[in-house]
Amino acid sequence: MSVSSEKNVQKSFTLPKSDFDQFFTLLAQMGTVYAAVKVSEQSFAFRAVTSAKQIAFDAIRTILPPKKFFYPPSETLITYDKDGIYENEPELEFKVIFGVHPCDLAGLGIMDKIFSSGHADSHYMRQREASFVIGHSCMPDKHCFCQSMGSDCAKSGYDIFLTDIDSDYFIEALTPAGDQFIALAQPILAGATDKDHERNHHFWETRSAAFTNGFNSSNLKVTMEGEWDNKLWDELGERCLSCGSCTPVCPTCYCFDLVDIASLNNDSGSRKREWDSCQFTGFAKVNGDFNFRPTPVDRLKFWYRHKLHGFDDAYADKTCVGCGRCTVSCPSGIDDIVAVVKALQVSSAAKTSEGADA
Amino acid sequence: MPENNSQSNCRPDSCVQNNSASRACTPYLPTRAILSKITEMAYDNFLFEFEQIDPIFRSCLPGQFVEIWIPGAGESPISVCSGSVGETLQLLIRKAGRVTKALFNLKPGDWVGLRGPYGHGFPVDLYKGKNVCMIAGGLGVAPLRSVWQYLIEHRRDYGRLTLIYGMKHSDEILFADELIALRHSQKLELFLAAEDVTVCHIANLEIEAGRVTDLLDLAELSTDMQVAICGPPVMYRFAVERLRRLGIADENIWLSLERHMKCGIGKCGHCYIGGKFACQEGPVFQLTELANMHEVIEYPREKIQI
Repeated sequence: MSVSSEKNVQKSFTLPKSDFDQFFTLLAQMGTVYAAVKVSEQSFAFRAVTSAKQIAFDAIRTILPPKKFFYPPSETLITYDKDGIYENEPELEFKVIFGVHPCDLAGLGIMDKIFSSGHADSHYMRQREASFVIGHSCMPDKHCFCQSMGSDCAKSGYDIFLTDIDSDYFIEALTPAGDQFIALAQPILAGATDKDHERNHHFWETRSAAFTNGFNSSNLKVTMEGEWDNKLWDELGERCLSCGSCTPVCPTCYCFDLVDIASLNNDSGSRKREWDSCQFTGFAKVNGDFNFRPTPVDRLKFWYRHKLHGFDDAYADKTCVGCGRCTVSCPSGIDDIVAVVKALQVSSAAKTSEGADA
Repeated sequence: MPENNSQSNCRPDSCVQNNSASRACTPYLPTRAILSKITEMAYDNFLFEFEQIDPIFRSCLPGQFVEIWIPGAGESPISVCSGSVGETLQLLIRKAGRVTKALFNLKPGDWVGLRGPYGHGFPVDLYKGKNVCMIAGGLGVAPLRSVWQYLIEHRRDYGRLTLIYGMKHSDEILFADELIALRHSQKLELFLAAEDVTVCHIANLEIEAGRVTDLLDLAELSTDMQVAICGPPVMYRFAVERLRRLGIADENIWLSLERHMKCGIGKCGHCYIGGKFACQEGPVFQLTELANMHEVIEYPREKIQI
């Protein structure tokens, strides 16, 4: 008894990589496993996988963040016919999402907050509850700046987390569901030893030192506030195509549109939610052809402010997690957040020193 | 799996409509209401009345809005336009976009969907014991009708009431019969202006040639007045500048701002104003609150010529 109660307290485990196939089998017993798969020379995407061999363990950022599993690009919320209006509750597939990096886990944590607060969004919540998320450690590339946004260490959004410590995985559980899975996987896991903890610690130390991209974010909100009228926004806005690439790839962009799809004679139909983008021309339009954000400058600034300053939404803080997706996907090269922040900081610092001189 | 499972805010009656009373239900589900009456007001503006409405709409407060859904066309946020809501809900709607056009194809007996009420309206409790001036521009008269009706229903709780209503053309006047009755009742002081005035076809309604801002001088407002404004985006800065010149403090000025609230529940992002959801924290804002917000084009930041 004493041994088992001790095991209950144990929160960290190791799994030899050679036993990962068995681990995968256990995951697959829960539901469909989705993991990063190499889909082209340079890109990865979350796809359904049936064997561990298909998984790209060293994947950099996927094209789309995992928000798509719980908040799909298009989903039916409501259906109607002559007799009534009905909530759409499709059969849910239990999803096991493997290999989510710390930035994306932070993104999921933010999405959870947005959709669970106030008038909770049952569509998101239902899909989120029918999921099991396995975080995975990663090494930064030249676009990663999660360290600057404080989202480089996973704090929320996952059930269990795997850190790659050479020949083994160091495994930690966060949620009751994570604990349950660990209990199930007990036969192939070993309790983490002091040495394992040291190896885990060493990995994260090495990773922290590996970042080549980033900025000092301690004054980010103040900078964003003070540099609202900076000319840089005009320069960036002039180059913006309003294509909206930056928003679907963002792990925390949650804006949507609601549209009706009617049958030919409109005696039945459905009401759908579709991802929208604040970068599209008509996003802030109202009746009478009045547009509250008519130019790309207005729209770009709006988006940057949500990411780097934050809005009064349920999260109420900066929503950028530093994944670098917008930087990579922007065809005009204006979503280089790190370069933008640094330029704003230089301008802000110049103002401060001018003030000190005067 | 998410860590925090918040309480659902869904209403039991809409769940019943979906035969799943036991579980969390979608906040996007409208309840059915029957279109009972259509009254032409002026040009493309009609007053629509709905019955068999969900009892939740009895809680409507002046300045709040509802989402009206025409199946197949979509939803549109429309301000409540009566001081209180009982058996029927009145909405003044101009034929303008896809949804409102579809509404004009309906006939009494047809059903629509309704959600709401949403948002923070005008602070009628704070107005108690005070003089109140309402300033309406064009269709902005509809939300303000909910205010004047409410104030008159509780007439003894309020001081001097003034209604200033400007429009482009005198033919576009809305709620004319009600305004005539109000003028006779002497329950509030009424000032009307139009940029174009033709011979007024409505007896006993003097319409000045001019703008809302001209009326503000005529109305002899006292500096202690609480002011409620609703109109097209361009009107606000001029009206606010003139009010300031008349000595009215920013903290006594309340604006209802127009944005396209698509979801009404602080999720879809369309109604953001300077990082605040107009559907949650607005649509009515105190002028002082707007001073510190970005992208409020309605707020006069520079001196403007009037």
